[in-house]
Amino acid sequence: MSINFAPAVFEVNNLSYKINGSDIIKDISLIVKKGEYAAVVGPNGGGKTTLIRLLLGLEKKSSGSIKLFGKEQKAFRSWSKIGYVPQRVSQIDQYFPATVEEVVKMGRTASRGLFSRESEQDRDAVKHAMMKMDVTNLKEKLVGELSGGQRQRVMIARALASEPEVLILDEPNTGVDMVSQNRFYALLKELNKEDGMTILFITHDVGVIADDIQTMLCINQTLLSCNNPHEVLSCSEMSKLYGIDAHLVHHHHH
Amino acid sequence: MDIFQYDFMVNAFLAGIIIAILASVSGSFIVLRRYAMLTETLAHVALVGVAIGMVTEQNPIWVAVIVSVLSAWLIEYLRSYLGLYSDSILAIFLSGSLALAVVIVSVAGSFNASLFSYLFGSILSVTNEDLIVMAIFGSLSMAVLLGLFKEFYFIAFDEEVAQVSGLRVKLLNFMLVTIIAVIIALSIRVVGTLLIGALMVIPTISALRYRLGFMKTIFLSLLFSITAVLLGMTLSYQFSLPSGATIVLVILAIFTVSIVINRK
Repeated sequence: MSINFAPAVFEVNNLSYKINGSDIIKDISLIVKKGEYAAVVGPNGGGKTTLIRLLLGLEKKSSGSIKLFGKEQKAFRSWSKIGYVPQRVSQIDQYFPATVEEVVKMGRTASRGLFSRESEQDRDAVKHAMMKMDVTNLKEKLVGELSGGQRQRVMIARALASEPEVLILDEPNTGVDMVSQNRFYALLKELNKEDGMTILFITHDVGVIADDIQTMLCINQTLLSCNNPHEVLSCSEMSKLYGIDAHLVHHHHH
Repeated sequence: MDIFQYDFMVNAFLAGIIIAILASVSGSFIVLRRYAMLTETLAHVALVGVAIGMVTEQNPIWVAVIVSVLSAWLIEYLRSYLGLYSDSILAIFLSGSLALAVVIVSVAGSFNASLFSYLFGSILSVTNEDLIVMAIFGSLSMAVLLGLFKEFYFIAFDEEVAQVSGLRVKLLNFMLVTIIAVIIALSIRVVGTLLIGALMVIPTISALRYRLGFMKTIFLSLLFSITAVLLGMTLSYQFSLPSGATIVLVILAIFTVSIVINRK
């Protein structure tokens, strides 16, 4: 195995999170490096989403430390470096007044100042993100009228519009058909391989992307392993993770 | 037009247009955040300000502005820091402030027609001083709304993603409720505290039926709101109807038409 000298994007040490005294996350330490494509897997209720929410500052940790791009989370200000695509992609109500272009533009909101007009750079970033995710032809449509797969691409386009260095996706593929899902996985792979984007991806479908990812983080309250995906898939940790009868279903895709 | 031969009608129309613009634009964010009941609650809170103003013989509008802004902050604090259910907080403030207003006014022995005019609006009694207060606070609120327009929109769409992108969501939420409180207090002369909710909520809800993007929805809502105020005031003048109620009935008619022509 080669040693990765790239700088750390996320560095978590002895992270714990409790609600009413019971552990949700217990003593997790991990590093995600620049350019890495890491999948976060584990049973429902095992704390995957909580871990991500802690990283993003949406929940307050009980103990431990979180560093983002080498900075303590409290002192971290460059949030535009992180593009976040949440779980709720399929829950946008059909009457919400937002065209695809208006949603993608939200990705520029935080970096633009108050009262400022849209700059050339803002427009380019939005255009580029829409092209990359192949939603340019949908830009006048309401997001509420799109299919699950199209919405998913719009939400990623919004995340990309802020020109992030890392993309965090929390199972944004519920209610999305197979064809769109495969296209989505191909896009993530391309973003990682060609654009050098660091990706942290919560998924329950790790078999499909096993060849694309470099790291698999198995979370069930604690971090069970942090390894090369092919090693992990065959190791006994999987049965600890999913229960004694678990066995891996191999998907083949080319 | 002979409707403008009286100064008070000119004042009334100016005040009406200011309120129509402010209420529909600010109301759209509240509607999208499913927080429409905040408008009802703050309208009743503003009544406490009116009562204090009447008893202490200050201009009731600016006392109402101060009281409703302070209450809006308290409501937002209870909601976001103490985690109380927001609809219950609103219910408590709504009835609590109405009770307080009634007690203040009756202790001072001035429970009279004047208070009634704040409940249902009395556009014909808009004074020059009222108009100045409305113009000052109105342009301040409009400046904040325009300056933070894209931020408020992002938060209405997805509060958490907005926060992760680096927006200071809690501060921005305080800003939004502050402006809403100011606008509600300003508008009680025109439509009255019991009717202002309609002017903040119904234009946007009607515009949403047309399924347009955000900017187009805002403009349509603005159009509905201004039409309702102008038409409502004209009708109220011609037929001697109470102005606030007439405005609300016109906007309800627009809502009904919007539902009917957009049904599937």
